[in-house]
Amino acid sequence: MQDSVAPESAGARAGLSSRLPGEQSNLLARRRKAGDWPAAWLLLTPVLILFGIAVVFPLIDTIRLSFFDIKGLAKPKFIGLGNYLKLFTDPAFRNTLVTTLIFTVSTTILSVGLGWMLAMVSAFAPRQTLPFRVMIFAAFGISEAVAGYMWIGILRPDAGGLLNAAIGLFQPGFAQPWLGDPRTALWVLIVAASWGGVGLPLMLCFASVQSIPKTLFEAAYIDGASHGQVMRNIMMPLSLPGVRVAIFINLLGALRAFDIIYILTGGGPVRSTETVGYFMYRESMTQFKLGYGAAATVVLLVAVLVVSIPAIIQRTAGAR
Amino acid sequence: MIGRAPRWPTIVLGVFGFIWIIPIVGIVMTSIRPLSETARGWWRTDSFTLTLSAWQRVWEAYPLAPAFVTTAILAALATAGTMLLTPAAAYAFHFLKFPFRRLLLIIIINAFVLPQQVVIIPLFQLWRELGLIDNFLAVLIPYVGLSFAWSIFLVKNFLEDFPTEVVEASRIDGAGPVQTFWHIVLPNSLSSVFATGILQFLWTWNALLLPLLYLRTNVPLPVILARVNGTYELNWDLQSVAAIVTTVVPLAVFLIFQRQFAAGAETRTGAKD
Repeated sequence: MQDSVAPESAGARAGLSSRLPGEQSNLLARRRKAGDWPAAWLLLTPVLILFGIAVVFPLIDTIRLSFFDIKGLAKPKFIGLGNYLKLFTDPAFRNTLVTTLIFTVSTTILSVGLGWMLAMVSAFAPRQTLPFRVMIFAAFGISEAVAGYMWIGILRPDAGGLLNAAIGLFQPGFAQPWLGDPRTALWVLIVAASWGGVGLPLMLCFASVQSIPKTLFEAAYIDGASHGQVMRNIMMPLSLPGVRVAIFINLLGALRAFDIIYILTGGGPVRSTETVGYFMYRESMTQFKLGYGAAATVVLLVAVLVVSIPAIIQRTAGAR
Repeated sequence: MIGRAPRWPTIVLGVFGFIWIIPIVGIVMTSIRPLSETARGWWRTDSFTLTLSAWQRVWEAYPLAPAFVTTAILAALATAGTMLLTPAAAYAFHFLKFPFRRLLLIIIINAFVLPQQVVIIPLFQLWRELGLIDNFLAVLIPYVGLSFAWSIFLVKNFLEDFPTEVVEASRIDGAGPVQTFWHIVLPNSLSSVFATGILQFLWTWNALLLPLLYLRTNVPLPVILARVNGTYELNWDLQSVAAIVTTVVPLAVFLIFQRQFAAGAETRTGAKD
């Protein structure tokens, strides 16, 4: 009887209906239910409209468009799975998939690995290392576009580029066109993207290490453990929750990367730095193959969903 | 930790910290030294002159000032939109009962995984049909609409700890749901609303992809930076000024609120642990 009036978690959440006995609660709850309706829609309508235009419609429409052949302003032609068949026989796209995999995995390993190590090292002297953590975290506060521009200066092909100059100290006259050489472009892009990416894992893992009970460390030191042992046996396993979150955030960020690729390499040279997220932009917005680009976006979407399954399950279960 | 902190962690972090700010030092140095001196490397000190020449010339060379105004207007409007609409929705989801409540909530808070790439083709076609290309609304609508995916989650999480008794008391006293929101819940959840605002401000100030596609005449700073960067002129000094102008406001905001930002980014993109 109660359930029909106040569904799901209302008893725990609303408190009131569970505390007042019998008839009165029933009456109140029923009045509330009817009374909530208009107010809820009043408060939600603008949000639902904007969310509908900016998220729901594009999501459905991208999937719909991926089944059409669209050339410029001509009438779209339904071609079923045609775009997908074309994608997976397109050597450029297959190359893009490999690039995406390398870019996503490498930036995540670099950012999270380094951030995690630095977090554990700084946990031995939290206060003294604070300014340096802020310096590393600051890179995370710089937009990808500006970060990309900064790295262009470091990667300049002549001796005016810091990287060439640094190598030139040992090997005079060294001049590698880092961004112009398809063999090196992807790797320097990965380094540049990870530069900004270390800050967040550092902060997340540091918070994770800080939340380990101090008594554990005290016990370990009293038993004569070294810093290395404390790091390996206490900090590493107990900071894993923070590491997991950091890995997930970095994977998502790398899959959706666009700005830094656009500024630093533009996907080149010879499309060697094109990830799926950049490929869809190029096909749809510069070649105007909207249907083809939409199909690539759906592939990106599948990758994003696969990576996000644990987070989605957790959020859905926690949505009360 | 027992006893005095050892010294080696500080040294390790110090080395990394200084390496990490080299790119930032690089563009600052390039912007305040003459091009002739920095052409072979901004770190060279054979001759060292400080000049604000690039800082004076850049305003003529690139449309930085109008772009700054555009960026500020877009970021302010998008931030205001998110800060006004998010708490109302979070309140409705948390305290009110209505059909499809849980379904809508699940859809909205899981949308945070979607990459921006999903919106660009459909909205490009829609804006073209509606004649909204080059209109601020073309970016403001997705800025605000996309923000709900994380902002509602963030504010609703805050409301989990909000004392239910207070809300119930207000309802028993005869206040309607909207009045309760306006007089009781909103004034007491401002900290989470401001955290949302800061995140949205940083995100919209730095946005490149959407304005690159949907705006033409009045474009924000990141788009200007992308344009001057693609010209292959040897204007390292001017371009560096443009880069600094683009990033100085969000970087300052970021550093002031860095603690909240680390916590917010966690709820924005990741699951809470």
